[in-house]
Amino acid sequence: MIHQISITAKSKKDPLGQDLLAEIKRTLGINNIKNIRTAKIYRLQGVSLKKAQEFTQKVLFEPIDQVMSFDKPLFNDAGQKIEVAYKLGVMNPEVGSLLKSAIDLGINLEAADASRQYAFYGGLTKEQLAEIAVRLLVNKTVEQIIEKPPKNLIITGKVQKTEKILIRNMNDSQLVKLSKDKLFLNLEEMKVIQNYFKKIKRDPTDCEIEVLAQTWSEHCVHKTFKAKLIVDGKVKKPLIERIKATIKNNPKIVVSAFVDNAGVIDFYDGFAINGKVETHNSPSAIEPYGGAMTGSGGVFRDILGTGQGAKVVASTDIFCFAPPNTSSKLIPPGCLPPDYLLRKVVAGVRDYGNRVGIPTNNGSVHFHQDFRAKPTVAAGAYGIVPKKQAKKQWPKKGDLILTIGGRTGRDGIHGATFSSGEMTDRTISVSGSAVQIGNAIEEKRMIDAILTLRQNGLVRTLTDCGAGGYSSAVGEMGQKIGARVYLEKVLLKYTGLAPWEIFLSESQERMVLCVSPRQIKKVKEICQLYNVEVTAIGKFDGSKRLKVLYKDQVVCDLAMKFLHEGLPQRKMIGTTAKKQIKEKLPAKNIDLENIWQKIMSHGNVCSKEPIVRMYDHTVQGTSSLPPLCGVNQDAPNDGAVIRPILKKPYGLVITHGLNPSLNKIDPYKGSIWAILEAVSNYVAVGGNLKDAALIDNFIWSFPDEKSLADLDKSVDACIKMAKILKMPFVSGKDSLSSTYRFRDGRILKIPPVLLISVFGKIPDVNKTVSSDFKKIGSTIVLVGKPDINNLGGTVYFDLTDSTSPNVSSPDLQPTTKVLSTITSVIRNGEVMSVHDISEGGLAGSLAEMCFGGDCGAKIDLANIKNYQKIRYSKKMENSVNVTDTPGVGKTRPDFILFNETPGTFLVEVANPQLAQKLFAKVPHYILGQTIADQSIIVAQGSKKIVRIDVGKLKQSWQKPMKEIFHYEA
Amino acid sequence: MKPKVCILRTDGTNCDEELFYAFEKFGAAPQYVHVNQLRAKSKKLKAFQILALPGGFSYGDDVASGKILAVELISYLKDQLQEFISKNGLVIGICNGFQTLVRTGLLPFGHLGKMEATLAQNESGHFECRWIRLKIEKSRCPFLNLYLKPGLPTYSKPGLDNGLENGVFELAVNHGEGRFFANNETIATMEQSNLVVFRYVDGKGKPTGHYPENPNGSINAIAGVCDPTGRILGLMPHPEKFVDITQYPNWRRGKVTEPHGAFIFKQLIRFATV
Repeated sequence: MIHQISITAKSKKDPLGQDLLAEIKRTLGINNIKNIRTAKIYRLQGVSLKKAQEFTQKVLFEPIDQVMSFDKPLFNDAGQKIEVAYKLGVMNPEVGSLLKSAIDLGINLEAADASRQYAFYGGLTKEQLAEIAVRLLVNKTVEQIIEKPPKNLIITGKVQKTEKILIRNMNDSQLVKLSKDKLFLNLEEMKVIQNYFKKIKRDPTDCEIEVLAQTWSEHCVHKTFKAKLIVDGKVKKPLIERIKATIKNNPKIVVSAFVDNAGVIDFYDGFAINGKVETHNSPSAIEPYGGAMTGSGGVFRDILGTGQGAKVVASTDIFCFAPPNTSSKLIPPGCLPPDYLLRKVVAGVRDYGNRVGIPTNNGSVHFHQDFRAKPTVAAGAYGIVPKKQAKKQWPKKGDLILTIGGRTGRDGIHGATFSSGEMTDRTISVSGSAVQIGNAIEEKRMIDAILTLRQNGLVRTLTDCGAGGYSSAVGEMGQKIGARVYLEKVLLKYTGLAPWEIFLSESQERMVLCVSPRQIKKVKEICQLYNVEVTAIGKFDGSKRLKVLYKDQVVCDLAMKFLHEGLPQRKMIGTTAKKQIKEKLPAKNIDLENIWQKIMSHGNVCSKEPIVRMYDHTVQGTSSLPPLCGVNQDAPNDGAVIRPILKKPYGLVITHGLNPSLNKIDPYKGSIWAILEAVSNYVAVGGNLKDAALIDNFIWSFPDEKSLADLDKSVDACIKMAKILKMPFVSGKDSLSSTYRFRDGRILKIPPVLLISVFGKIPDVNKTVSSDFKKIGSTIVLVGKPDINNLGGTVYFDLTDSTSPNVSSPDLQPTTKVLSTITSVIRNGEVMSVHDISEGGLAGSLAEMCFGGDCGAKIDLANIKNYQKIRYSKKMENSVNVTDTPGVGKTRPDFILFNETPGTFLVEVANPQLAQKLFAKVPHYILGQTIADQSIIVAQGSKKIVRIDVGKLKQSWQKPMKEIFHYEA
Repeated sequence: MKPKVCILRTDGTNCDEELFYAFEKFGAAPQYVHVNQLRAKSKKLKAFQILALPGGFSYGDDVASGKILAVELISYLKDQLQEFISKNGLVIGICNGFQTLVRTGLLPFGHLGKMEATLAQNESGHFECRWIRLKIEKSRCPFLNLYLKPGLPTYSKPGLDNGLENGVFELAVNHGEGRFFANNETIATMEQSNLVVFRYVDGKGKPTGHYPENPNGSINAIAGVCDPTGRILGLMPHPEKFVDITQYPNWRRGKVTEPHGAFIFKQLIRFATV
């Protein structure tokens, strides 16, 4: 018998219900619901009535503000009710806690579950309820509607047998069929596998095929980045080799690059810092909450799994979605609406990062219509580790293979292979099992235990069970000496898994440790203290083979050499396609007051405060420059500065940059923009690029010839900028599956994203600045040379339906000097605030600085002139009638205000004389000063251009996200 | 002698390091102690003068924030806790620590095992990370009372500045379940007995129910309370996250000369030392 306990709030105020009601009204336009009440439902199995009641009183029910119903339904007066639970087999993180409390109370409880009920009051129809369920409440991948109470909560199953795959006799079409939807290997690769088994004269097991598919997956092995390339007829070095070669730009700072789970650079006092940025696009597209959670969890354990274990000290989150108001007709079949994705992804990041206690200090959200088939969800993490424990080690013969952390279940199977495939309308149903629901506390206690093990010097090496589970973890660690695994020793969540499922199942909350057999006792003691399960499942045996057994059955027996070196290098061809983008410029007489407000409301510019406030950025006490500050603590900063060692003033600086809209128009210049934006953010807070490193993330379409040519150009831009800036790349990741294929064969390419992250060290956090104006009467200086001719892809052009193939193309010659000058004036304490110019242009940055200072500004644009002849002609203007010749003195004020030239900055300085002195050697323009009046007054010489109320701008800027997150401040 | 502080950790504790740092900075001798060590008696509560429960998400805040840990403390450590409190040990619970103390019943009335108030879900319905203003009340909490009874040792007034007078200061809150709630009688008893130590206030220093100055909708703007002995203190905001100037978001705007969370630790440590 299962006892069912329903609990709701006594008060009619139900925050969850109110939030849902607002969301229903906003997104579905259903207005006939009066009220929504919610309840938690607990189910207890295998417990006596008396003990169930005791458990309810002591654990579940708090009579102060709650109403409880035991074995009887609640909300009998509601019009409609619906109960949403996790599917059986999807691990509900709360159940572990329920079972723990039962043990603490000495109550025998066999199984439990928790779910949520929603009761709707008002004239809601069944059809409307179904729509609400599908659109807002239930994600069918992991959740279900409970129609009838379940009779059994215990999952059992018969152990499935290991199967032989008769690959030796397959013809080409059979090989392709075997690969499709499951292995994601191409025919050539399938044939290599076939030939290997022909040679050893046997057929493979299902496990061996799965191990090969995982190890050779694009996700794990990055075939495109390793491929021989011919681009536009020219032979080029593999992409990864070019990127790795940047280490020589500043080898002094690099501790380890591209060999471990994260890139590691030098810090102070014998410490090193590491950084990693991961994408989790595919899972987030089909299950945004779980996908975002495992994205965070995955990148945290990448940091943890570096060297002998690093402590995670910060995280970042960068998302790209379709605009929230995208019509549902435009959303391709099988894809989820963007506002749902945004809210759920934010909730996933919030619930994971906050619980593990990692401050989320930096991030951004970008919008472009073509993300409607698949979002980009990137999570970064940064850590600190003693330098002597920062380098990757290899197992020694006889070392034990330990599994530590969460148990193995069926969730999380096929993540590596599925992430390497295109998205189609079948992705959700075919790959549903590949999404895990993260358990943050499971990861947190594992982190606590592993860091203690590392402090005691008990870890030889470790790695995660992310993509590919034990298969990738053991396969990678043992690639030099070989390993033997006994699968029956693996602790399972429930019985019924096939051996290959045990070996391939992924989890962010499980890792593999390599430990000397002499240390096993101490390791077990420490793990026990932290309530963490640890089990020896095999050893590194010197066989140079990967041998996996389940009881007396051989499940896998492959030569490490074939597994890791058997994959043929791909040859790939890239061909540049001519882009046809016409030039169409905005009208000259545009209403600047109106468009300025619209720019502030644009998704790429608007305030993200409701998101920022749901992430904990103060945990660990290390924040020295938070995401928001200023008089009302609502103005954004360019980057994060944290102090990872509380007793010391040393800072870790973290920033990033990306611009998918520009990459779509011009992959090379768009990539230059992304890098310059990232490093501009870095110096704008006080960082020094000499002490920093770069991380790349290429989130690209499936590499057909054209996309590959674009990717090649993007990599070239990275290499060029890294050289100019004298900076190394130390970590990177490519995700080449940003393609959606419709049933009729049409393809939607998601905009290419180059995400650049920068991290590094500064000796003293006291020598950093924020972006908010500090004083009235200060001088405002534009530092760096704006490109006011090329505004293709800017927010301004987007909002005015203007187009241009010419994206910002800054003069790089003075840029490095500008960057180092900004660093040094901040270090010397000579400037009061700095803000870099990015999306929204000078106008956007100036407005944000005024929000922070709670003040206004008066500026004159006359100083900023067109030095180069403008390339457009009257003919190209289409509907716009421009009669005057552009040139000195007649520069379009809108182009000055809204150009988005990277590497340019607004700086607040005490007076014009000081500004002249500080910036004598770099291009700079004294624009005006801060004023107490809450307006921005813009002139161009004697001509009044615009006067705009700061309050109005701020309102426009804050409105979009407040609406989406129902946020009332 | 430096007072020994037991920083209690368990699965999901996560503000322990900054709490450790704050105690150490102001002259105490903190130690991390896992709840399993107290259960196994390999460490004993009586060896400490201060028990500090840090913030975080103990056991994921499953069922309710701090609940599973509260059940564990009542089940296994009732005797140790009672002995510790009866022998004049000091207890401070911050954020999740406060939630745990309320769910054990230790706050507000010191009745271990009898829950008389709650920290419910924020009225906004979501987790909130922001800086808010607080005011110290005349309370039973001896080390934070600015209006001390004669006969007790006197302490310096907290170093408040930033133009905020009358005991108003700023701290960070980061929680999803911080709405202090109890029935009317309980609230009345608490108010009469001066058990409310901190309240959320607006820009004028007045207690407020208005979001976001009151970030969670707490009744009577209650942000922190003590028990009738004044030796058990709990609060939702985080004093341990403002013990260095640079932890404050607007430190670059000047004005702050002493971190606002510092006085709580200084006073607590001094009181534990005498």
